Amino acid sequence: MINVTIDGQKLQVPEGTTILNAAKMAHIKIPTLCYSEELSIYGGCRICVVEVENERLLQPSCAVAVKEGMVVKTHTPKVREVRKTIFELMIASHDLGCKLNCLTCSRGDNCDLQRLAQELGIREIRLNALDKNMSNDYSSYSIVREPNKCISCHRCVRRCEEIQGIGIFTKANRGPAAVITTFKNKGMGNLECVNCGQCIHACPTGALHEVYHYENVWDALHDPTKHVVVQTAPAVRVALAEAFGEKPGRIFTEQMVAALKRLGFDKVFDTDFSADLTIMEEGTELLGRIQNGGTLPMLTSCSPGWIKFIEHFYPEFLDNISSCKSPQQMLGALVKSYYAEKNNIPKEDIVVVSIMPCTAKKYEARRPEMTGDVDYALTTRELAMMIKEVGIDVLNLEGEDYDKLMGSSSGAAVIFGATGGVMEAALRTVYEILTGEELPGIDFTPVRGIEGIKEAEVKVGDLTLKAAVAHGLSNVRRLMNMIRDGKEYHFIEMMACPGGCIGGGGQPIPTDMEVVKKRMEAIYESDLAHGYRKSHENPEVQQLYDEYLGKPGSHKAHKLLHTHYTPRGL
Amino acid sequence: MGETLFLKRKVSEDYSHYDFPILKKVIKMRREDVIAEIKASGLKGRGGAGFPTGLKWELALKEPGDEKYIICNADEGEPGTFKDRFLLENTPLQVMEGIIIAGYAIGANKGYIYIRGEYAKAINIFQDAINHAKEEKLIGDSILDSDFSFDLQLVKGGGAYVCGDETSLINSIEGNRGISRITPPYPIQNGLYGKPSVVNNVETLTAAAEILAQGGKTYANLGTDKSKGTKLVCLSGDVKEPGVYEVEFGAMTLREIIDEFGKGTTGELKFVIPGGVSTAILTDDQLDIPYTYEDIANVGSGLGSGAVVVVSEGHDLLELLQNVSRFFMDETCGTCFPCREGNRRVYHLLKEAVNKGGFTSDDMKLIKDIGKTIYLAARCGLGQTSMCFIGSVLEKYTDELLARR
Amino acid sequence: MNDGRMMEKLHNIQTTYGYIPENEIEKLADEYAMSKTKVYGVISFYSMFHTEPTGKYLIRICNSLSCHLNRSDDVVTGVQEYLGVESGETTEDKKYTLEIVECLGHCGEGPVMMVNDKIYTHVSKAAALKILKECM
Ligand SMILES: Cc1cc2nc3c(=O)[nH]c(=O)nc-3n(C[C@H](O)[C@H](O)[C@H](O)COP(=O)(O)O)c2cc1C
Ligand code: SF4
Ligand code: FES
Repeated sequence: MINVTIDGQKLQVPEGTTILNAAKMAHIKIPTLCYSEELSIYGGCRICVVEVENERLLQPSCAVAVKEGMVVKTHTPKVREVRKTIFELMIASHDLGCKLNCLTCSRGDNCDLQRLAQELGIREIRLNALDKNMSNDYSSYSIVREPNKCISCHRCVRRCEEIQGIGIFTKANRGPAAVITTFKNKGMGNLECVNCGQCIHACPTGALHEVYHYENVWDALHDPTKHVVVQTAPAVRVALAEAFGEKPGRIFTEQMVAALKRLGFDKVFDTDFSADLTIMEEGTELLGRIQNGGTLPMLTSCSPGWIKFIEHFYPEFLDNISSCKSPQQMLGALVKSYYAEKNNIPKEDIVVVSIMPCTAKKYEARRPEMTGDVDYALTTRELAMMIKEVGIDVLNLEGEDYDKLMGSSSGAAVIFGATGGVMEAALRTVYEILTGEELPGIDFTPVRGIEGIKEAEVKVGDLTLKAAVAHGLSNVRRLMNMIRDGKEYHFIEMMACPGGCIGGGGQPIPTDMEVVKKRMEAIYESDLAHGYRKSHENPEVQQLYDEYLGKPGSHKAHKLLHTHYTPRGL
Repeated sequence: MGETLFLKRKVSEDYSHYDFPILKKVIKMRREDVIAEIKASGLKGRGGAGFPTGLKWELALKEPGDEKYIICNADEGEPGTFKDRFLLENTPLQVMEGIIIAGYAIGANKGYIYIRGEYAKAINIFQDAINHAKEEKLIGDSILDSDFSFDLQLVKGGGAYVCGDETSLINSIEGNRGISRITPPYPIQNGLYGKPSVVNNVETLTAAAEILAQGGKTYANLGTDKSKGTKLVCLSGDVKEPGVYEVEFGAMTLREIIDEFGKGTTGELKFVIPGGVSTAILTDDQLDIPYTYEDIANVGSGLGSGAVVVVSEGHDLLELLQNVSRFFMDETCGTCFPCREGNRRVYHLLKEAVNKGGFTSDDMKLIKDIGKTIYLAARCGLGQTSMCFIGSVLEKYTDELLARR
Repeated sequence: MNDGRMMEKLHNIQTTYGYIPENEIEKLADEYAMSKTKVYGVISFYSMFHTEPTGKYLIRICNSLSCHLNRSDDVVTGVQEYLGVESGETTEDKKYTLEIVECLGHCGEGPVMMVNDKIYTHVSKAAALKILKECM
C-alpha cells in the first residue's frame, strides 16, 4: 500500500493506483475529459491536471500513479487557472459559434463539454471561435460525423479500436492540421465501419450521432394514405425510461406502447414476437445442420453490426451464418405480407417503422437483399425525441398492450436483448423439441453475464451441444480466431455491442458497462414475468405457422424470413 | 581564446581508414569501468535536457533483461541547430564508435541511429559507414574477437521535429505516429519495443568515445564545476561567420563567442537566443556571462542544444514572434490540448496583431495565460518549452510591442 | 512486426512513386498487422510522406528563424510567384511541388532550399529561380 495525501486527507491506496483513482477513494472527483474507465489512458486533454508537491509542472492525474509520500493538491489557483484556459482553448476550436449550435446539437441535453464547463466554473470564454471548416461525413446510412465539433479526445478512436477491434478512425496529420478522420478521409460509409454506433457513446460532444430518420416517420404519420406500423426491439423497453430521467433498469414496456399509440402509429407490434419466430427458424436450421452434416458451427444472424463485421473480416465463414433474417427484418416482411393480406391493406400503403437500440439496424433496413421489409429504423434516442416533441408525460402514462397478431412474446424473446439471450432462448426450444423434455434449469446461467466470451456444453439427448457466446467485436474477433484455429462448436451467438443489444449504439446516453448491467437485470426480470418462457409456446407464433407459413423452414418461411450475405473486402 | 578541440576533428583529415581504436580499448574493459569513466568526466546529454550520461548508462545497465537498445538521436530539428549534421557528415565513424561503445556499456546488442529524413547527405554517408564497418567486421557477431555482438540500423526520419523527443522517436522507429509517450515509464525502463533503451544525442556519444580515449579526468578538467568539458555551439543568424565551434565551458562569454567566432554581428545587436528557439532570449546587457549551463540558467534561459541565434536590430519583432510561433504550431504532434490548441491560438493572436498593427494589453495577457498553461500542462518537452522565446520577447519588449498601435 | 523498418519502407515507396499509393498502404498494413487506417495515420503524421502524387521536383524552402533572419521570405515569395503555387501545392504540369518547411539544419548557410535530395545554401531569389529553371 502507498501513503498519499490528497487535499490534506491522508490515505493508503494500492500500488499502481492513479492520482485520479486515489482522489476518488478520498471522495474527490477530479474533472476529466479524454479519460474513460473502459479505455486505455490517453493523457491528451490535460483537464485532470493537479499539483504535486516538489514537481515543477502540473501532473495529469489520469496517467500518473501515486508514489509513496506523494502530496497532491487538486484545486490550487494554478490548477484552476490552467484548467480554465485549456477549456477556453478547446471550446474555441470546438465549433464555430458553439453558443448557437448547442441549440441544434444532438447532444444539447447531455453534452460533456457543458457538464465540464459547470464543473470548472467557466463564466467567460475570452477567445473567439476558430472555424475548422471541415465538411460533415454523411457517407454512412447509420452514423453522421461532424468533425468541426470534434475536440480530438480520441475516445471514439479508442473505443472502436479497443472495444470493437476495428479501428475505423485515426488521428491524421500533425500540428494544426491534426484531425480525427477515417482512412484517407473516405467516410465511414465507404469503409469497414460496421455501424455499431459505439463511437457515439464514446463521444463527449455531438460530433457523432445517428442518421436521423424521425422526420421521415413524422411525415408518414401525418400522411393519411399511409398505414404506419411500428415494432419495438427487446432492449428498447429496458432503456427508454432513462431518456426521461429514470435510473437505468426500469422496465417500461407498457408505457412505451402507450406512447407509441399516442404518437399515432396504426399498429404497435413487438419485435419480441419475431424473436420467438427467429428461434423457431434458427433452431430448425441448427438441428438440420447437425443432423445432415451441414456447415458448423452455426453463427447467429440477428446483430447487423456483427454481420457486416464478418462480411469484411471473415468472409470465408459466410456459410456458417444462419440464413435467418434478423427479428426486425422478419417482422417487417410479415407486416407487408401476412398482416397486409389478412387486413386487405395494399403493401405499398404500409410503412414499417422499427424502434431499435441500434444504429446498424438503419443499415440493415437498407440492405438491397431485404429492402422494403422495414422502411425506417429509429434508435431508442429518436423515439425519446419524438415523445418529448409531443410532450407526452410518458413516465405517468397508463400502460397499454401490444396489438394482436404479432404482439405476443415469450420470456425467451425478451432476453434476446442481452448477451447470451439468443443462445439461451434457442436452447430452451431446441432442447425441448429434440428431447421432448424441458431444459433442466430453464434459466441457463452459463451464457449470462458480461464475460466477453462464454462457453457452455449441454447434453441434448445423445448429443453434447457445444455453444459459445461473444459480445463486443474484439471478443467476437477472438472467438472467430479460435474457430479458425480449429476449435469446434455447434452453435455460436455473436453480438456486436458490449452487453448485447442493451448496450447498442442507439441506446440513451450514457451507455456504459454499469448502465448495461442494470438494463441486463431488468431484461431477466422481464423474462421471469412472462407467462410463456419458451419461444415455441408463443400462441401467435403457432398461429402464424398454422395459418400462413406451414412449418419452420418451409418454402414460404424461406422466402419471407431468410436471406444471404455478401463478402466485402477491407 | 580559440576553439577547444576535444571532439571536433579537422574536416580536412581523412578518417576513412579509422578502425575504432577507442572501441578496441573499451571492449577489453569491464562495463562498470566504462561507465565509471563517463561518470568521472561529468558529461551531460547534449540533446537539450542535459541528463548525466554516465548515470543514464548505469541505470540502463542495471535494468533486468538481456534485450536492450542504444539509440542515437540524430533527428536534429530545432531551428538554429546543425552540429549533429556536422559530426555525421564529417566524422561518421567517430559517431558510430560512440554508439557501439554505449551499446557495449549498457549491454545492448542492437543499436539504431535515427537521422532526420532531410539530411540526405548525412544519411548516405552514414549508411556507407555502416556498410564499411560491417565489411570490416567492426559491427556484427563477436566484434574485435570479443564476445560482444552488435548490430546497427539506420532509421530515416519522416520530417517531424517532435521525433527528436526521445519517446516520440521511439514511437517513430516502431512505425507509429511520432507522438510523445506518457512518462514514467522512461525509455530506460520501457523504451523501444518495451525494452530498456538509452537514447543519446550524436554529440553526447561522440564525446563519450573521446572521453574513453583521453580519460574522464581530462574531460572533467575542462569547463567549470557544473559544466564539464566542451560543447559544440551552432552560431547562426545575424553574425558574420556562422558555423559550428567547439567551446570549453566557462572559457568564453556569450559575447566573446559571437565576436570571436562569429566575427561580430551584421547589424546592431538586439538580442540573442542562447539555446535554440525553445529557450528564452537574452538582451545585450546579459551577454557578458560565461557560456555554461549554470550561468545561462541564472539569467533565465538555457543552452539547450547549443544553437546560438543572433538577432540584430531591423527585424520586425512581431514577424519574428510569428515565425517561431508557426514553427511550434506546425510541429506539435497534436496529442495534448494545451500544446495543440495553445500554439495554434497564439499564432492566430500574433497574426491578428499584425493585421491590427499591434498589440493590446489584453492580447498580451491572453498570450501569457496561454503560455503558462502550455508550460504547466503540456505532455512533452516540445509544448513545455514552446513559449520560452515568445514569452521572453513579450516580457522584454512589452513597451515596444504595445507602442506599435 | 518489430523490425524498425516501417519508416524505411515508406521512404522507399515515396521515392519510387512520388507518393504512397493505396495498394502499398494495404500491403504495409498486412505486413505489420495494422489496419490500413492506422498506417494512413502514420503516413500523414510525417511531412515527407504524401498520399497524393507530387510533382517531379519537390522544392523545399526553409522559412525557420535563422533562414528568416537571412531573408528567406524573399526566396519564398519569389518562388511562389514564379511557380504560381502555394506551399503544399503542385504545379499544373506536375513538374514542381512546393513546400515551405521548417529548419533544414543548414542554419548557418541560409536561406536554404532543397530540390528532391539536393541541398542549396545561401540561396537568393535570383539563384532560386535559376535552380528551378535548370530542373529538367
Ligand atoms: C521536442 C523535442 C525535440 C528534441 N530534439 C532533439 C534532437 O533533435 N536531438 C537530440 O539529441 N535530442 C532532442 N531532444 C531531447 C531528447 O528527448 C533526449 O533528451 C535526448 O536525445 C537524450 O540524449 P542526451 O542525454 O544525450 O542529450 C528533444 C526533446 C524534445 C522535447
Ligand atoms: S469524434 Fe468525439 S469521441 Fe471522437 S475524438 Fe472527436 S470528440 Fe472525441
Ligand atoms: S533555419 Fe533554415 S536551415 Fe535552419
